[in-house]
Order: sequence, then structure tokens, then C-alpha cells
Amino acid sequence: MCRERISRSRSGTVETVAFTSLRLKRRFDTEAWIEFGRGPLFRLCFALLVLGLIRILALTWAGIFDVYRHSPDKILPWKEITKKTLAWLIPVRKLWTARPVYSAISFLFHLGLILTPLFLASHNLLWQKGVGFSLPSLPQRVANILTLLVVGAALSIFFGRVLYPAARAISRAQDYLWPLLLAVPFATGYVASNPVISPRTYELMMLLHVYAGDLILVMIPFTKLAHCVLAPLSQLVTHLAWKFPAGAGDRVAETLGYAAMPTWLPQARLRARPEAPNPEQGQVIQK
Amino acid sequence: MHGILGSPAARLSEEERKAAFARAKKAEVVERQKLPVRYHVEDFETADRPRRFLEAFAAILKHTSYRLALDHYVRVTARCARCAVACPIYETTGDPRDIPCRRSELLLSIYRRHFTLSGILRARLLGDPGLTDERIQEIADSYYDCTACRRCHFECPMGIDHGLITHLGRYTLSEIGIAPRALVVSTREQLTGRTANTSAIPLPALLDTLEFLAEDIKEEKGIAVQFPVDQEGAEYLFLPAVSDYIMEAETLKGIAAVFKATGDTWTIGSRYFDAINYGLFYSDQVLEHALRKIKEEAERLKVKKILIGECGHASRSAKYFYPAFCGGPNALPAVSILEYTHQALKEGRIRLDPKVVKEAVTYHDPCNFARPGWIVNQPRETLKAFCSGYVEMTPSGRENLCCGGGGGTVSIDEIRPYRTRVSGKIKAEQIRSTGAQYCVAPCANCKKQLRELMEDQHVDCEILGLHDLIYKAIILPPDRGSASGADDAAEGSGLNRAVTAD
Repeated sequence: MCRERISRSRSGTVETVAFTSLRLKRRFDTEAWIEFGRGPLFRLCFALLVLGLIRILALTWAGIFDVYRHSPDKILPWKEITKKTLAWLIPVRKLWTARPVYSAISFLFHLGLILTPLFLASHNLLWQKGVGFSLPSLPQRVANILTLLVVGAALSIFFGRVLYPAARAISRAQDYLWPLLLAVPFATGYVASNPVISPRTYELMMLLHVYAGDLILVMIPFTKLAHCVLAPLSQLVTHLAWKFPAGAGDRVAETLGYAAMPTWLPQARLRARPEAPNPEQGQVIQK
Repeated sequence: MHGILGSPAARLSEEERKAAFARAKKAEVVERQKLPVRYHVEDFETADRPRRFLEAFAAILKHTSYRLALDHYVRVTARCARCAVACPIYETTGDPRDIPCRRSELLLSIYRRHFTLSGILRARLLGDPGLTDERIQEIADSYYDCTACRRCHFECPMGIDHGLITHLGRYTLSEIGIAPRALVVSTREQLTGRTANTSAIPLPALLDTLEFLAEDIKEEKGIAVQFPVDQEGAEYLFLPAVSDYIMEAETLKGIAAVFKATGDTWTIGSRYFDAINYGLFYSDQVLEHALRKIKEEAERLKVKKILIGECGHASRSAKYFYPAFCGGPNALPAVSILEYTHQALKEGRIRLDPKVVKEAVTYHDPCNFARPGWIVNQPRETLKAFCSGYVEMTPSGRENLCCGGGGGTVSIDEIRPYRTRVSGKIKAEQIRSTGAQYCVAPCANCKKQLRELMEDQHVDCEILGLHDLIYKAIILPPDRGSASGADDAAEGSGLNRAVTAD
């Protein structure tokens, strides 16, 4: 590609050739990439985030209404659901009941994770520029403390997961990666906001900061981070899930081709299974 | 690490582990059924099991409302391991397979792999062969190790109810023939048998028992107390766990005494008198059919309310599922005897002698009462009203520890070693540390399990029902007539006046 450009520019002036090769030699314009990352790419990621969250919220709410509609029993313990939901949104009373150290760290982690990106002064400048309005700004000192808190908490959570056998036994790869990935924009943002570093370091930090941030935003709706909007619905969903629709048990047996053979009858219904599988079943599995 | 009781976790010794997990079955049965589980299962088709499991799962998802929860849980599960700390079984075994979150994942991963678009695409890309027979065997084993006590639900920041997943897993298994024989045989007798109850008590035997109980009360209290049968138009249709008629005479006498004191009308149905509902443990279809039988009997006798005896799961089935299956908003209200007695005591309709029970008494919260926050304080207030030596155990109330026999496991006699050495081990220590002489456990399930537990773990504590103690302490109004027949008639008319609000 390099040669092609130069050969094409033989017809052009010498200056152009020199400029092009200079640009190509540098290959990577950090500043432009940062601008791209926090400009168009950020807007794309943010849009995907919003659309993705709307999608899962809509699906969940649709499910909630559907279950509610089909349940003959409409009595839900609303007070209990609200209480439990609030207790987990502001989990100060839940911290000491299980894994207290982990829970306290996790609480601080979430606090910093939510507050800092939204209310940081320099992000507010971007908000103003990008969407035309800004949020109240945190004092820089507070933001700095919160940022360090998030990084420290992320590392603790990571090591907690590695060292605690029960957590290790149920962890997937993403569970180990998330605290580390979430710490990246905070660590790099903190370094970048320090005025004494060299411009080169600043650029590198900002680059990492912006792209890690974009990556996280776009992944939220598709990973366990979706709990940022779904967790408040959990208690309602769980309570509704115990509202069994009437007649479902019989319909299940019917679909399976055992309408006359409920599970409790003495003839082993499974020996008498029909030759041809019910065509409906295939559809259900496909769905 | 500190366990649930604040002391170092009570882990199993190697010996206990061996005894607890010893298989009660012959090797050839395991080989024939291809199912290395400890409980007995009726013979069933083993070929093609993964496909049949998926068909059953698909049919269940199609007709029920589990999908909402499954989708939600799959999206939010954060794997924080807080549930591990809440689970008395994991605390005892230290086996990662007993972590609630991991147990649920066995089923959730099947859902994700076979019933979500991302899972199907992922499997295509990575060449995942899908559900295997080994996985089904693992679920069959694991899902009956859980006592479905739902204690872990309180510690899950994501609100996941592992008890619901256990229920769904067992339901799906039962549709392909995997369910504890003890539960299936009882259900069979209850739903299609001649005696129509899980203990196969014939009606004449029941009537004999009632007569015997009434004589007993007459002898002990000097007052004629009736067990009304088939009294149409009574206010309450009374259904205890039917095993109470064989094993819990004191509880039943206490309940009859309470009714004698309050004067409310109640009746036992001769066609259906069993509140036990194993459907709550393993099958939605059973759950619904058993409740419909209650409905039939309630309609036949034209009662106003359904009253469930001292039994946790039966009360929960009736309270939370009767409206769903038996008429929605028009369904008869289901009441627990604990609520009834507490209400009567508060209204001053029963009097209890505080000088009778002087021993140290503690209260065990049956999970099905306490976990939803439904019946926590009522029995405590009742007990405190007449037991001077009441002591609380910790943790208690909604965060209580399961007796270790929840989720139907108590009915499976072949896994008693597991129940008393593993799932109930911490409970035994908890009761021991209260130093109480009586432990009140108002649940047929808990009573049986705790008695076995006290025996196997050598704890010196007597397990009884709430109404056993009430029977000791209740002050009955003096008889108005001498002949019992005339007395009953007079009583009947007196009662109707006593019925107040409805």
C-alpha cells in the first residue's frame, strides 16, 4: 500500500510525497484515534448501550405482564417486593449477612463505578459537547478518591474470586475478566488526569481509557453487567415466577403425548411412549 | 472462615461422609436404571434420555411461566458466591457441587444452550454436542440433595431463587420418570388410590382414631371434645398432614381443644382429609391435582375457609397455590392453624395456663412458613404467652436453618443418613446450643426429620408441635351438659353465634 501511494504520487509534487510518507511512517495518529473513540465511536457505543438496555428491559417487562396476565392469582406481595428490591439497591443492611469483607468492597466498587463516570468534571465537558447538557460535577478530589477506590476494589474482587474456593468453583472466564476490564478506564483515567506525566504517556492513557470505556459500554447489555438495569426487577420476577398458570401441568403432559398418563400412574408411561413424536415438540425446541 | 452459627464451619468427618453418601441401592439397580442416586426410583425408560429431557423441558417452558425467571437469571447471574455462605449443606460438605448457584447452573446451562438464540449459535460455532446423559444423572443426584429451603435467596444480590430452579429441575426430571419412589407412591395413593391420602389410611381407621382421640381428651381433661366429620356448612375444613393421624396425636388433641375453646365450627372431610401436597416438591401437575381435591371436598361440605394443620409445605401449597389453581380471586381463603390459634389467643377466646410448661422451649421455623415472612411472629407470641422458659435460636425467623428434611427429602427413608449427617448437621448443633428441652416444630415434615436428627446426632431435646404444648396448658371451658350428644348439639348452636367477621 505504501509503494502504491508513492508510485501514484510520482505525477504529483515532491512535497506531497514527503508528507504522505511522513504520515505513513508515523502510522498511528494517537490524537485522532482518541478523538474518534470519544466522538463517533462513543456515540455508536452509547447508542448500542441504550438500545440494548431498552431491548432487555422491554423483553423483561413484556414477560412480566405476560405472566401476570396468565396467572389466575393476581395477589402479589407488593410491599415485600418493594422492600426487598430497595434493600438490594441500597444494600447497607445486607453487607454483614454473608461474606462481609467481599460485600463491603463490592458496595464501594459499585458506588465508584456509578458515580465517577457520570459526575466527573471532565466527562461533563464531553456531555455538554456531545449531547448538549451536563450533570452536576463531583469535586476533583472526591472523584480522585472514588477512582482509586474502584481500582483497589476491582483488584480485591479479582483476588477474592481467585482465592475464595466457593467463588472459584462457580466462576466463568468473564467473571475473572470483568473486574480487571472495569478497572482499566479508571486506572488510565486517573493517570491521565495527573498533570506531570509526559504528553506521550497522556496520549497512551487516554487511548486506553476511551477504548476500554467504549468496549464496556457496548458489552453491558449482552453480559452479566445487564444487571445494572435488570437487578431492580429481580424480586418481582422471582415472585411472579411462583405464580403458576392453572392447567399447565395437564397441558405439559398432553404436549408430551401422555394426556391419559400422569406421572403418578402405575403403568410406566415412558414404556408406552407413542411411536411418532408429537410434531408440536419440534417447534417448541426450535423456539 | 466462619460458619452459619458463627463458629468454625462444621465440616463432615471422613467417616460421616462415607456413611452419609453410601448408596442404599443394589449395584444392579443402579446399572439397570443408569442412575447413581441414593433415593429409590421406579423403573423407567433409560434410552434416549437427553432427548426426552429436552422435550419435557420444552413442553414445560411452553405451558408454564418459568421462562421469565430463567431468562432473567441467565442474564443477571453474577457468581458472587454469597449463597454458598447461606447454605447449610455447603457449609457442611464443603463440596463445590453443593453451592446453590452451581446447582442452579446445571439447569440454567441447559436452558442457555438449548433454548436461547445466543446459546444455540454459540453451540453451532463451538460444536457443543449439547445435553448428555451424564448431566441428567448429575441433576437427578444434585437436585434431591437440596432441601429447597430457599435460604440462599435472601443472600443473592441478583434475587435469584434457587429453590424455584430446584423445583423446576425436579419437575422436568419427574416428567421423564425420575422422581423418588417414596413421593410417587404416596402421590399415587393420594390422587388415584382407594384411600385418597398419602399414608393410605382407610376411612374406618381414621374414624377409629378420632374416636380414640376424643376419648383420650375426655380422660385427660375431663371434657367432651369432638372431632366433627362431614359437618356441612362448617366454617373451616380442617386438613392436617395425614401422617399426623398416625404420629401426632397430641397435636390433633391440641387443635380440637382450641376449637372447643373458641367454639368455631370445623369439620374433617371423610372423602378427602389429607393436606400433604408433594407436588410442591416435584411436580406442578401433582400440585394442582392435589389442590383440586381439596376444592372438591370444600365445595361438597360448603365450608367457608380451608384450615391446614401443623404442616409447612401443605400450608404453603394451600396459601400460595390454592388461589392459582382453584378459582383465582374467588378461591376460598386458606388459613394455617398457627394463624388461627394466634388470632384466637389475641382475641382472648382461648386461655392458656402459664404455670404448666416451665421447661426451656425453643421454636424452629419451618421454611415454608417463615421464608415468605408469612408465619414468623404468630407462633412465637403464642408460645411466649404461656411458656416462661422460651429461648430463641440463632439464626431464626425468616433466616432460620432448614431442619434438613425439606423439599420432600424427609419422606425418603433411604436417605436418612444424608439427612441426619449432612443436611441437618448444623441444625442439630443449633438446637443443642439452645439447651432447650422442648423444640417446637409446627410442621409434620420438620417433626419427623428433627426427631431422627436428635436421635442420630445424640441431642437431648424433645420435638413437638405447637398444639402439643397448647394441649398441656389450655384451660377448657367447663362442660355444659352431661350427655355428649346433647352437649354437641348445644355446642353447635352456640358456635354459630361465636362466628363473627368473615
